[in-house]
Amino acid sequence: MKEVPRRIYYLFSPFLRIFHWVMVACILTLFVTGLFITKPVGLLATDPTSTMLTMDMIRSIHFLAAFIFCAVFILRIYGFIVNKGDRLFPRVWEGHFYSETIEVALHYMLLKPSHAPFLRNPLARMSYAGLYAMVFVEILTGFAMYFPTNMNSIGGTIFSWVNIALGGEFMTHLVHHYVAWFIIVFVIGHVYMVVRADFMEGEGEASSMISGIKILEHVPKDVNEIESRE
Amino acid sequence: MDKRESMWDVYLRKGISRRSFLKGCAALTAMMGLSTDMLSEVVEAAEAKPLPVVIWLHGHECTGCDESFLRSASPLASDVVLNNIDLEYSHVLSAGSGEPFEAHLEETIQKYAGQYILAVEGAVSTKDNGIYCMTGGKPFVQTLQRVAKGAAAVIAYGTCATSGGIQAANPNPTGSSGISHFIGDKPLVNVPGCPPIPEVMTGVIMHVALFGKLPPLDGDGRPKQFYGNRIHDTCYRRPFFDAGLFAESYDDKGSKAGWCLYKLGCRGPETYNSCGNMRWYQGMSYPIQSGAPCIGCSNAHFWDEAPFSKRLPEYGPLGDIDKIGAGLAVATGVGVVAHGALSTIQKKKRQEAEQAEHDEKQVKK
Ligand code: HEM
Ligand code: SF4
Repeated sequence: MKEVPRRIYYLFSPFLRIFHWVMVACILTLFVTGLFITKPVGLLATDPTSTMLTMDMIRSIHFLAAFIFCAVFILRIYGFIVNKGDRLFPRVWEGHFYSETIEVALHYMLLKPSHAPFLRNPLARMSYAGLYAMVFVEILTGFAMYFPTNMNSIGGTIFSWVNIALGGEFMTHLVHHYVAWFIIVFVIGHVYMVVRADFMEGEGEASSMISGIKILEHVPKDVNEIESRE
Repeated sequence: MDKRESMWDVYLRKGISRRSFLKGCAALTAMMGLSTDMLSEVVEAAEAKPLPVVIWLHGHECTGCDESFLRSASPLASDVVLNNIDLEYSHVLSAGSGEPFEAHLEETIQKYAGQYILAVEGAVSTKDNGIYCMTGGKPFVQTLQRVAKGAAAVIAYGTCATSGGIQAANPNPTGSSGISHFIGDKPLVNVPGCPPIPEVMTGVIMHVALFGKLPPLDGDGRPKQFYGNRIHDTCYRRPFFDAGLFAESYDDKGSKAGWCLYKLGCRGPETYNSCGNMRWYQGMSYPIQSGAPCIGCSNAHFWDEAPFSKRLPEYGPLGDIDKIGAGLAVATGVGVVAHGALSTIQKKKRQEAEQAEHDEKQVKK
């Protein structure tokens, strides 16, 4: 490896980083417990003398993780407000966003040897928007199944329209379950892209979610988002 | 009948005792899901309010809702029909028939315009101008629209009337649909179920009759006092669910021991009805108690959610969700590995190119 001069860019606030890892733990927990709720295979209790409320416990873990997940979004929002580097939405209102997306896509399709340097490239940004959309659907459908235990509760009043809109609560389960799998598919792609970026560019992609910094050789095209001069 | 009688008037005329009247009112109060504090108001209403005129129409259906209604025990269906409401027209329960009967319907509509309660069982057939369901020589949809115009309130009995019913199942050849789009802006109570529980049917109509207004409704237009709970949350097998004890087939030890029917496709977790708490036929039983998983008969579109014996993940229009999901995940996994391998080659090429460029520069210098 030849030595190249690099610069450190501070990007992610601690709030975003903590949020990120809590989200990882929550999504994995939610996914595993969710599958178990749907298909309670091989539960420990096989005779009625057992006092373990296995199914109840698994559901409680799912719900606990769900509430933690929702609560931790406060950190995400706080980081978004105080730190420019946390603002990861795709900048679809800027014309160059599209040409840059195409360029990055061509690189990922292995048609271009490299793409212009970014702190956060436009395709990645779009995938995060997609993830948040899916998480939003999960939260909406999840609470729509959770709260109507008491239809007159505040939660029941707020969320029960979801079941009507989807054409029945059974459909809500269906959507919740499909989107759970789509999130896992995202996770696989996301982890790969991070590892790949580290391998291809060596810009500290993976460690950035722990340290908050990325180390780039070239000046990234979206640097003006975090630094007003230049 | 010009001065319209109240319930108390009817009891007086028939020589039924005050004691029976009060007992009847107490039963009504309980059955309507009201607290006993409301008893005096019920008595007052029953003394003063004229019996509500009811027109009961039957559309695209099996009349199973009537079968259920007839089995109401408290109050007895006969009491409701003969003493508590003024039933002017019903296809199934009336002695009359033919043209005089239809003429009587017309008469009732005019005489009590804006006052009568319209109870509707059965769906509306909308295809080909509604010819797949004819009553009294006319498409049912026309009769419904005509009668609904003068109604004070409309009660939709059964899942047919609320959302189309079995005949609306895919591919819905007769274009069946619920009645809500055909009654204008009249206040509507949805009483779904295939059929609804007998006491729920009588309870709703008595509420409208005595208080002259609709019972409190949820977002789906269903009376909260009867559809406010999930079967799953009122099911006596719920402790087995929480413990993770499930019947796996209809004849295994779990099924004999009365364990939860979740794995046999029970729709209790998404079905709102009173089967779990009121049960059927004076609390005798309900499907789950009889060992059959709930099929969710009070849910819109339950007929298209077959097979009833399967829940997720096996259930679903596209097949087993977990298999589809795992397939997608594996495909993505294979995809990223392949992409990774190609990327390695790409990187090597890029480095070679960079190296070549670098060497060229060196040479030029
Ligand atoms: C990323 C987030 C989530 C994932 C991956 C996830 C995953 C799942 C899965 C796979 C199921 C099984 C679906 C079924 O077959 O019924 C499930 C069920 C459920 N989830 Fe989630 N979930 C998430 C978030 C939430 C949230 C935020 C809530 C809100 C409280 C929630 C509440 C529920 C409920 C109530 C059920 C049904 C449990 C039952 O049928 O007893 N989920 N979840
Ligand atoms: S039998 Fe059905 S309604 Fe009863 S606890 Fe089991 S899943 Fe719920």
